[in-house]
Formats: sequence, structure tokens, C-alpha cells
Amino acid sequence: MVKAVIIDDERNSRDIIALMLEKYCPFVEIAAMATDCNDGIARIREHQPQLVFLDLEMPDGTGFDILTALQEEMNFEAIFVTAFEKKFLQIIRLSEVELILKPVDKESLLQAVTTVVGRVEEKKVTQRYQVLMENFNSLQSNQWRVIISDTDFRERVVLLGDIEYFESADDKAVFHLRDGGILPAAGTFRYYLELFSGLRFYQLNNSQIVRLSAVVRVSGDGTRVILQSGSMLELSERRKKDLLTRLHHEH
Amino acid sequence: MKRILLLMFLCCCTAAITFATNGSALPDTLTIEPSTAPVAIDLRAYTGTLEDATGNLSIDAVTQLPFYTNNQLFHAAPRNNSKPNNCWIKLNIKNPGNTNASWLLFTGWHDFMYWYEQAPGKVPNLLMQTGLMLDRGGVERWNNYGLITDIPPHDTRTFYLHIINKSFNENPFEPTLYNSAAFVKFQSAQVEGYRRESVVILVLLGMLLVILGISLINYIQLPDRSYLYFAIYVLGLILFFALRLESKPYQLSFFHRWPMLKYYWDIPGLLFCFYLMYLLFGNAFLNLKERYPFMERIFTWVAAVVGGLIIICIYLIAMEQYHLPTIIYGYVYFGTLVPLLAIFIALARRSQHHPLVKFFLFGSVCLYLACLGSFLIHVRPLGLVGALGELSAPTILLIGGILLQAFFVLAGLSYRNKLVHLERTRTQEMLIKQLNKNKELQRKLNEQLEELVKEQTTEILRKKQELEEQRKIQLETEYVKKLTEIELKAIRAQINPHFIFNCLNSIQLFVMQRDFEFAQKYLSDFSYLIRKTLDFSRRNFISLADEITYLNTYLGLEKMRFENRMEYEVVVDPEIATAELEIPAMLLQPYVENAVKHGMTNPKQALGKLSIRFTQIEPDMLECIVEDNGIGITRARALRSLPKHHQSSGMEISQNRADLLNKMYNTEIQIEIIDKALEAECNAGTVIRILIPQL
Repeated sequence: MVKAVIIDDERNSRDIIALMLEKYCPFVEIAAMATDCNDGIARIREHQPQLVFLDLEMPDGTGFDILTALQEEMNFEAIFVTAFEKKFLQIIRLSEVELILKPVDKESLLQAVTTVVGRVEEKKVTQRYQVLMENFNSLQSNQWRVIISDTDFRERVVLLGDIEYFESADDKAVFHLRDGGILPAAGTFRYYLELFSGLRFYQLNNSQIVRLSAVVRVSGDGTRVILQSGSMLELSERRKKDLLTRLHHEH
Repeated sequence: MKRILLLMFLCCCTAAITFATNGSALPDTLTIEPSTAPVAIDLRAYTGTLEDATGNLSIDAVTQLPFYTNNQLFHAAPRNNSKPNNCWIKLNIKNPGNTNASWLLFTGWHDFMYWYEQAPGKVPNLLMQTGLMLDRGGVERWNNYGLITDIPPHDTRTFYLHIINKSFNENPFEPTLYNSAAFVKFQSAQVEGYRRESVVILVLLGMLLVILGISLINYIQLPDRSYLYFAIYVLGLILFFALRLESKPYQLSFFHRWPMLKYYWDIPGLLFCFYLMYLLFGNAFLNLKERYPFMERIFTWVAAVVGGLIIICIYLIAMEQYHLPTIIYGYVYFGTLVPLLAIFIALARRSQHHPLVKFFLFGSVCLYLACLGSFLIHVRPLGLVGALGELSAPTILLIGGILLQAFFVLAGLSYRNKLVHLERTRTQEMLIKQLNKNKELQRKLNEQLEELVKEQTTEILRKKQELEEQRKIQLETEYVKKLTEIELKAIRAQINPHFIFNCLNSIQLFVMQRDFEFAQKYLSDFSYLIRKTLDFSRRNFISLADEITYLNTYLGLEKMRFENRMEYEVVVDPEIATAELEIPAMLLQPYVENAVKHGMTNPKQALGKLSIRFTQIEPDMLECIVEDNGIGITRARALRSLPKHHQSSGMEISQNRADLLNKMYNTEIQIEIIDKALEAECNAGTVIRILIPQL
């Protein structure tokens, strides 16, 4: 059995998660429920759960506050439950922390719980919550870090600003870093394409996505893009104008 | 036919007259006695004459013809015959003495003379031929005019002399027989007589040569057309007067090898010098083209006509029609007398403005008067028409006139030179001045231009900047407007997604709990709210009634969410016609939402209380107060645990909402946010006072 604590200020939300866990995840035992941050921290300390369902916003703080408070004694996995917090979604996803959107549906709940339970069982040391906190506290998105599982499913923490570009190789993403390093990821190209949307990355062609600030210039004929490292990437004809506009805004 | 009859009649008449006048008996034979003393015998009484009207008679034919005494043929002074003279004279001379009689016959200076001698019963033979036009010898040729008349002792000889003078003007014609001594005397008299004229001509020629030289030298030094014309004019005169020497007996001459020249350069020479060249010279000298264009045209035209006449005259002379050029000249002379005077007067009137005219005029008048005087002198011996040909016979008067004129003209030319020089100096000075002025002007212009360019550049830059600024402003305005619209739409649409999903979550819960009735109620309210939200977000204004219904529904849902931990009331002043009164759509929603949110977070208050009141405080002002009993906006802000950059912008936007709305709809909505906690410690909550002016 996996011990879980639910922290949410709305009763309806707590009830539905409890109800759904009872129904679809019988292996999860709900140890306690809390209505705000302070209550939540107390409950966690009390019950030492392996799994915590965390609401993002509560009257006396946020889910992040709870994580920060428990950073030293962190021996549980968190699943964020939120209605709509676009801003935090990306940060949470970048750190590969699980997230369920309200209204909660069976599949996403199951998928999140399964993943987290797997992690609990693996007992691997993880940096993801630390990364999450750091991202949460830093102002600029290029100082954010991303957790990328490599082909051996090892956790790699990469600063977004260190990624020069990534490309598709057999549907998997391969990252090219600023220092020349190459990081083949376990995730698909498409997954990272979605993850990085809105982060000032730009899709040059069908299989390559570049960080805009890494672009030095576009070649005279407009068919190539020259990067800081000196690499030259192909630029698809129809994106040239768009890219130039984006670059203009970027600089 | 008539003409022939007339001609015959005329011939008869002439013949009759000839008979009547020449009808005297044949002249006697002259008997001469040898004598050592000078003897000159007038032969008029002994000379038989025959006029050769056809000009075809040969000596053989003439011997057969009768000769008559006709004294009218002879004349002691030059005479105009009004026709060419072609005549024969016949002399019978008997020498009764024992010695050979050697006499000399002199008849005058004629053009062609053929001297035949006939012994009795023999054929006449040509002893001698001479004449002004025939003899090309030097000064010795003049001796040939004494025709040798040798008669052996006790013998008689008949002499025939054929004389042809093609020119109408004939030199004196008197047959005189001289013995040797008498002829020597006669000769020396002739030499003396013509020497005076010859010397005068030679002096004139010398002076003209000097003038020619001066003119040419001047022309070379200063290529002024008038010098050239003057030189040609003087050259023409030199030629003309040199040819005049040809007919001065016993005098040196220059052109005796070409006797015809003196005819060719007689009338044509006069026309050339006194008309053609003179006009051309006048044109150039007075610079008439610029000063007196009308006169210039006259001069040019007349010169052209004269040129044509010269050619005609030369042609006529070549045809041996010597009298015709004289007639032409007569017409020209008389025809131009008055016009010339008119021209002189016209020029004289201009002389004040043009000092050169004076010189030209004085010279011309001198020549004019000299010509006239010379003509008058000749009229007496030659008659009116005959004098014409001798117009320029070098009388002292004419020569004086010509020289005076030449000197005037030379002086004029010098003066002209001076003028030209002065003009040039002045022009140069002016040029230098102008150059300096130009330089100055250029410098000024350059400066001005530079200034202008500078100004223009500045202006252009300024304009450019202005334009850019304008563009910027325009863009900004547009951008701001668009942004406002988008923001507003976003704000409006921002019926908090959090709320929506929480609602859905609640519904899901009720469904799962099988509380279907509640789920149904919740769902229908939620649907209404979403529908209204969608509807309002498309509209700018909605009625107050709609807004109130909307708020009620919204608050109802929130109340359900918060498990009745909150209470709310919506109070509307009964005076307000809620259905008619319009307010901006979704104006209150964010404040209400905020009030709910903060009202629920006051730990001191178990029950969140929310009230919304609408009051008509002034006829055109609607007041709306949203009040909660929460922790107050100041503390709420302080309490926010999210880092600044993660805070939801909803609050900030709501602060600017009034500005945005006012900008969008040109209204003057005022929003006042009062934290009750700040007024008194015991109080809690936030009051939002919105003043909506009614249009």
C-alpha cells in the first residue's frame, strides 16, 4: 500500500480525489486530508506519506510553500492537482513532477499515480523537486532547468540556456548543448517540442528546434542559420521571415 | 514689215543728210615745198574723208570709193561722238622739189591707226600701224604717232589712214603735217603738256601706295575688316590711276603691255572703288550692323547691285560695247546723287552718338564734292554725257578730294583703333571687375548653398525624426488600442478558469456521489454563467439587470463551492431602472471575484460576508460598492506567498481596468479601493467603490 495525503482548501476537490483514488487506485491508502498549508505540513510530518496530492493555491500559501518547508525531510513524491495555473504548469512539467488537472479524469490520475508509485518503489535519488523550487524562484526562463531522462533513464539536469538546439532522431529528441555535448533523450521529439513551447525556442524545420538566443545570424541566402557554436542548421524556406521577426524581438 | 520700211526710210534720210553735209568737192592735192624752217600744215582742207559705217571695208575697196571733204570729223578738243568712229582719210601730196620730201603726219592719239601709201598706178601698201590699243611698246611707242610721209622728188603719193576709235569719247582729231623740225617742237610741247598731269598722278599713286601700306600693316596688326576694305579700295584707286597714265603721251607707264586694261578698269573700277568698296568699308567702319541696322541693309543691298553692275560692265567691255558702261555709270551717278546726300544727312544726324561718322562723312563729302567739281569741269569740253566717262579724270580737284578723303578715313581708322583700344581696356577692366564680382558672388552663393544644404539637411533630419516619431506614436496608439482591446477581452474572458474547473470538479464530485439533483442545479447554473460570460465578452455594454443576475448566479456558485462559509447580498436602489441602465460588460466581475477570494481568507471571520450595492447618487452617476469582510487588500497583498513574478496579473489588471475602459469607451469611470483595516484596527475588509457616469 502506498500512503497518501491530500491537501486542498476545497472540500469538493479533496472529496473527488479521495473518491477516485478509492475507486481506481485501491493500492493507495489515504492517510489524511488537509485544508491549508500549515495543516498539510503537519499531516505530512505526522503520517510520513509516500505520496502527497498538492493543491497549488490555498488561502495561506501554495503547494510550493509546502515543498519548500519540507525540503530537508523530503521522502515523498508529490502530485500537483490544479484547476488552471498555466504559469506553473510549464515549471512543473520541466522538472518532470506529476500534475493532474481538474476536473480529474481517471486516465491522468492513473498515469500520474502509476508513475509516482514506480518512482517510490525505485527509491532513486532525484533532483526534480530541487529543480522545481529553483525554477519557481528564478525570474528568467533561460535560467530555468529542465530534467531530461537520457536513453538510460538517468536524470540529467540541463540549464535551458545551455541547450543550443535539439533534433529528432528516430522520433527521439537529441539535445546539442552549448559546450558541444550531445544528450540523447528518452522522450520523443514531439514531447519536448510541446514542453518547450513558449520558451523562446524555434522550430527551424521538421526535425530541428533551436534556442532563439543561440542564433547568431541567418545566412545571406536565408537557407541556413548560424549558431553561437558555429553550427549551421538548415532553415526551411517558409519560416525565414517568421524567424527574422522573432529574432528581431529577441534581441 | 513696218520696221523694215522704217529702217529703209531712216537709211535714206541719213544718206540724204550725209550728202547734204559732205557734199563738197574732192579735196585738192597738197603741194609741199621742202623747207628747213619748222613748218606745220593744217591738212583739213586737203583731206578727203570716208566713214566706214559697216567697218568691213578693205584698203582695196577704199581706193575705189570717193572721198569728200568733211571738216566736221575733226576737232581740236576731246569730243564725244556718241558712236564709235571708224573712218578713212585720204591725202594726195605732191613733191615738186628736187629732193626727197620727208614729212610727218600727226592726226591725234587714236586707238587703231593703219597708214597706207599708194604710188600712182600701184597697189597701196601698209607703211605703218599703231594706236593706243594696238601698240604695246614702252615710252618709245609714242613716236609712232608721227606717220612717216616720204615723197620722192617730182612725184605724187596718195596716203590712206584708217582710224578706229571704239570708245565714244575721242581724243582731239586734226590732221597736221609737220616737217622734222616742226615735229620735234610739237613732240616737246606734248611731253611738257602731259608731264604735269603725269606727275600729279604719280604723286597721287605714291601717296595712295603709302596709304595702302599703312592700311595693310594695320590690318595685319589688328585684323579689323574696315582696314582690309579700305586697303582694297585704295588698291582699286591705285590701279585706276596707274591705268590713267597709259593715255598720257610720252609719259612712263606701267601697264602698256595690256592696253585693254584701261578700259576694263575704267567704269568698273569707278563702280568698284566709289560704290562697292566704299559701301562695304562704310558698313564695317561704322559698325552699322549694330548701330544702324537699317542703313546697313541699304548699304549691303546697294553694294550687291553695284557688284552685279560691275560684272555687266566688264562683260560689255569684253563685247567692245564701250559706251554702254558709260551710260550705266551715268545712271548710277545721277541716280545716287540725291540718295547719297540723304545718306550723308542721315549719318550726320547720328554723328553726335557716333564720332566715327564724322570722319566718314567728312571724307565722303570731300570726295563727293571733288567728283562733282571734276564732273563740272569736264562738262564744258565733253558735254554732259561725255563728261561722265571722265568723272575721275585726275584733275587736281579730284586728286585733292581723294587724298583728303583718304586722310579722313585714315584718321577715322586711327580713331577707331583708339576707340577699340579704349573699349578693350574698359572691357578688360569691366571683365576684371565682373570676374571679381563673380568670384564674390560665387563665394556668397556657395555660402548660401552650404547654409541651405545645412538647413535642408537639418530640416530633413528633423522631418524624418518627426515622421518617425509620428509613426511611432501612431503605432503606439494603435498598439495600445489593440492591446487595450485584447487586454479587456482577456479580462472579460477571465472569468477565472480556476473557477470554471473547480466548478466542473464539483459537478464531477456530485455526479460521483450520485447527488444528481444537486449536480443538475450546479450544472445549469454553471451553464448559465458560461453562456452569459461568452455573451458578455462579445458585448461592450450590458444592462444592469443582466449584470445583477449574472453576479447572483456567480455568487451562488461560489457559495456552493465554499460550503456556505460565505454570505452575500446584492442591494439595488429601487429608483434605478435596472433594465435600461447600461454598464460596461464584466465591469464588476473581477472585483466580486477578488472579494470572494479575499473574503474567504480571513481567519478571524468564520463567515465571509459580501455585499454589492447599487445606488443612484446623482442623476447621472451610478455608484456601485463591493464590500467584503476579508483581511483587506493591503494584507492580502502582503500575505501573498507567491513570488512577485508568479503573481496572477488579475489584480493588477483590475487596478487598470478603469483606465482601460475609459480609454476604450471614452467614459469616466472612477474606481476607489478602500482598505477598511486602515481606517480602524477593529474593521476588516475591502471596499471597492465604482462610480459609473450615466450617459
